[in-house]
Amino acid sequence: MKRNPILDAWLVIALSAGFGSSLAAVQAALKPRIEANKLCDTLGQVPVLVTSATRAEKVVVGDRVYYRALDAAGVTVGWVVPASGQGFADKIELLIGLDATASTITGIYVLDQKETPGLGDNITTEAFRRRFLRKPADVPLSVRKDGAAAAHEIEAITGATISSESVVAIVNAALRQFAGQLRSGAIRPGGIP
Amino acid sequence: MSSDGPTPAERFLRGILPENPVLRQVLGICPTLAVTNTMEGAVTMTGAVLFVLTCANVLVSLIRPLLKPHLRILVFTLTIATFVTIADRLLAAFLYDMSRQLGPYIPLIIVNCIIIARCEICASKQPVRTALMDALGQSLGFGLALCALASVREILGFGTWFGKWLGWRVLPVGLSERVWAPWTVMILPPGAFIALALLLGAVNWATARARARKEA
Amino acid sequence: MTRSPHGPVPREAAVTASAPAPVAPAVSVAPGPHLHAAASTQRMMADVLVGLAPLVAVAVAQFRQHALFQMAIASCSAVVSEWLFARMRGRPATLWDLSALVTGLILALSLPAGAPWYAGAVGAAVAIGLGKAIFGGLGQNLFNPAMVGRAFAMISFPAALGASAYVSPSLGIEAVTSATPLTAFKMSGQVTPIGPLFLGATNGSIGETSALAALLGGLYLCFRRTAPWEIPAGAILAMGAAALPGLAGGGTTWTLAHDLSAGAFMYGAFFIATDPVTSPLTPRGKWIFGAGFGLLVAMIRRFSGYPEGVMFAILVMNALVPLINRGTIPVPVGGPAPQTR
Repeated sequence: MKRNPILDAWLVIALSAGFGSSLAAVQAALKPRIEANKLCDTLGQVPVLVTSATRAEKVVVGDRVYYRALDAAGVTVGWVVPASGQGFADKIELLIGLDATASTITGIYVLDQKETPGLGDNITTEAFRRRFLRKPADVPLSVRKDGAAAAHEIEAITGATISSESVVAIVNAALRQFAGQLRSGAIRPGGIP
Repeated sequence: MSSDGPTPAERFLRGILPENPVLRQVLGICPTLAVTNTMEGAVTMTGAVLFVLTCANVLVSLIRPLLKPHLRILVFTLTIATFVTIADRLLAAFLYDMSRQLGPYIPLIIVNCIIIARCEICASKQPVRTALMDALGQSLGFGLALCALASVREILGFGTWFGKWLGWRVLPVGLSERVWAPWTVMILPPGAFIALALLLGAVNWATARARARKEA
Repeated sequence: MTRSPHGPVPREAAVTASAPAPVAPAVSVAPGPHLHAAASTQRMMADVLVGLAPLVAVAVAQFRQHALFQMAIASCSAVVSEWLFARMRGRPATLWDLSALVTGLILALSLPAGAPWYAGAVGAAVAIGLGKAIFGGLGQNLFNPAMVGRAFAMISFPAALGASAYVSPSLGIEAVTSATPLTAFKMSGQVTPIGPLFLGATNGSIGETSALAALLGGLYLCFRRTAPWEIPAGAILAMGAAALPGLAGGGTTWTLAHDLSAGAFMYGAFFIATDPVTSPLTPRGKWIFGAGFGLLVAMIRRFSGYPEGVMFAILVMNALVPLINRGTIPVPVGGPAPQTR
C-alpha cells in the first residue's frame, strides 16, 4: 500500500505550525524588553561617560551611530562615540564620552574585548579607563610606558603595551572621524538645545 | 531493560550520579567546557538545560503514541529547537548579562546530546511522570557536574565563588602576588580540559574503589 | 656489540619489546642491529648537569639567592612530581636517572629571578605530569617537558612570567632594574652593548643571560656527544641567514652577534633543542630541526608581539619531529629495499 508522505508527516507539520506560532508569540512578547536591554547597555553608560547627562538620543550619520547626551532640560551636554578596532587578540569595542564641544574626553567604557586575561583585559579596569579622563579630544593621543607626562599621553598597562596602544589607536581613529563629521556639519553641534 | 524498568524515583536518582550525563555518559561536553569558568555561567546553563530538557521530555512523552519511527528524530529536534529558542529569548529579556556572557552556548543546547538522548531513551517510551522525573534527575546531574567544575575553575582562576552575583571572595582581597595569584589558565579553555579530565579521573577512581569494596 | 639474535640483548631493547608485560618472555628476540652503546640515561643526564654548571654559576653570581630559590623550588617540585606520578602509574620511581632533576633545573634557568614560588612549582609539576608522565614517561614524550611546564606557567600566571615580570627593582639586584635586552630593543629600539650581552651582565631569565656560559657548557655537551652538534649549528646558521636581509638594508646597530647573544637563544639551542627524546633521530633531521628552530626564533623576535621566541620555537619544532624523522630516513647501503607487494 502506498502511503501519502504528506499525511505521514502530519505530526511534524502540526508541530511546526504550533511551535512556530508559539515562538512568534514569545518573540513578540519579549522583543521590547530585549531591545531595551541592548539599548540600556549602551545608554546606561551615558551618564557615566558624560557628566550631568540623563538621557541620550541616537544620531545616525551614514553607517555610523553616535549618541547625543542630553541633560534633564534637553540641552546637549556631551557625546558618546561608539568605536571599535583590532586589539591584541580580537576586536575591541569602546564607547567614548566627550564634552559638549567635543574637545575633551569625559570617559571611556569597554563594551566588548577578548584581550589576554590577567594582562590585556585590564583595559576594562577603572584604573586604566581613568587615564583617559580630561584628555584632549582634538589632538591624537599617544602611549607612554613610563608614566604620562604631556597632556595627550596615556600611560600603558604594565605587560599589556599592545592592548593599551590598540585602545588609544581606536580612540584616535574614532575621534578623528567624529570631528570630521562635526566640522562638515553632518552633525548638529552641541551647546544648542 | 526489564519490562518494568526503573521506577520514576529511581530514574531521578540515577541521573544524579550513577548515570550522570557528564561524568558517566560524557555527554554535553561542549557547554561543560565552555561556560564553567564562573558559577554564574554554570548555574544559568543548568537552568536553561533544565527548562529545555523538562519541556522536551514532557512534550515528547505526551505525543509518544503518535511518533513514527522514521520521523521521531525530526520531531525531537524540532521540539528541542523550539524550547531552546524560548530559553534564549527569556535569558535575553530577563538575564541580559548572562545572555551576553554565554553568547552562542545557549542556542547550542539544540545540539546537546543529553537532551536528544533522553528523548530517545526515555521520553519516547515512558509515561509523562517517568519522563519528567528522568528530565529532572538528568538536569540535576548535569548541574552538579557543571558546578563542581565551575567551583574549581572560578576559585582558582578568579579567587571568588559566585563573584558576580554574590561577591563571595575565597582568596583574601589584599593577598600578595608573592603568595598566590589568580591562576589565569583555569578561566581559559585549557583549564577547562585539564579540570574536566581530573574530575572524570577522580570519579572513575572513586567508582572503581567503591566497586572493589563491594566485591570484597 | 652483539650480532647473534640469541646473544644477550641490551637491557633497553628487552624492556621496550616487553614493556606492557610484567613477565619477560623466556627467550627475547629483538630485531637487529644490536648495537650496544655505553650511553645510559643517567650518564647523559649527569653530563647535562655538568654542562649546566657554568650557567648555574653565572645565575648565582648575578641573581644570588633569587637564582638559588628558583632552582630549589623547580628542582624539588620536579623530583617530587616524578616520584608522585611514578607511584600513581604503579611504576618504580626513576629518580636516580636524574632526568627529573634536569627538567626542573632547565625550567628554573628559564624563569625570571623575581618569579613567585608557584610559577616554578606549578611549572615543574606540569612539566613532569603533563609534559612527560601522561605520554608514558621518559622517552615517550612529544614535547620538551621543561618547555611545556614553562608555557603552562606562562599562560597560568602571565603577570609573573611576561616581559614585565623581568623588571622587579624590589629584589635589590642591579640587573633586574631595567628591561631585558630583547624587550628594550623591541619596545624602544635600545641596543645593549655586545660585551655585557655576551658575558651576561644583563637582565633576563636566570640561566640565559650569559651566552658565553651557554656556549661553554654546550660545547662540552657536544664534545661528550650528549648533545648532537648539528642542532645548535643549524640554529646558528639559520639565525645568520635570517639576519642577511637586515644586513642588506644596513643602518641598524642590532647585529647578528646581538641576536645570537641575547635572550635564551644559546641556552635553548644547546640545552633545550638538543633533548634527545624530542629532537629528530637522523643527522639530516637534526640539521633541519636546528635550522627551523633558529628561523622561528628570529621570526618571533622580529614579527610577533613577544620579545623572545625560544620557548615557542622549541614547542613548534618538537611537534614537527615525527614529520622530520619520516622525511629524512637514510637510504641503506646498496639502495632502498625492493618494494614487496
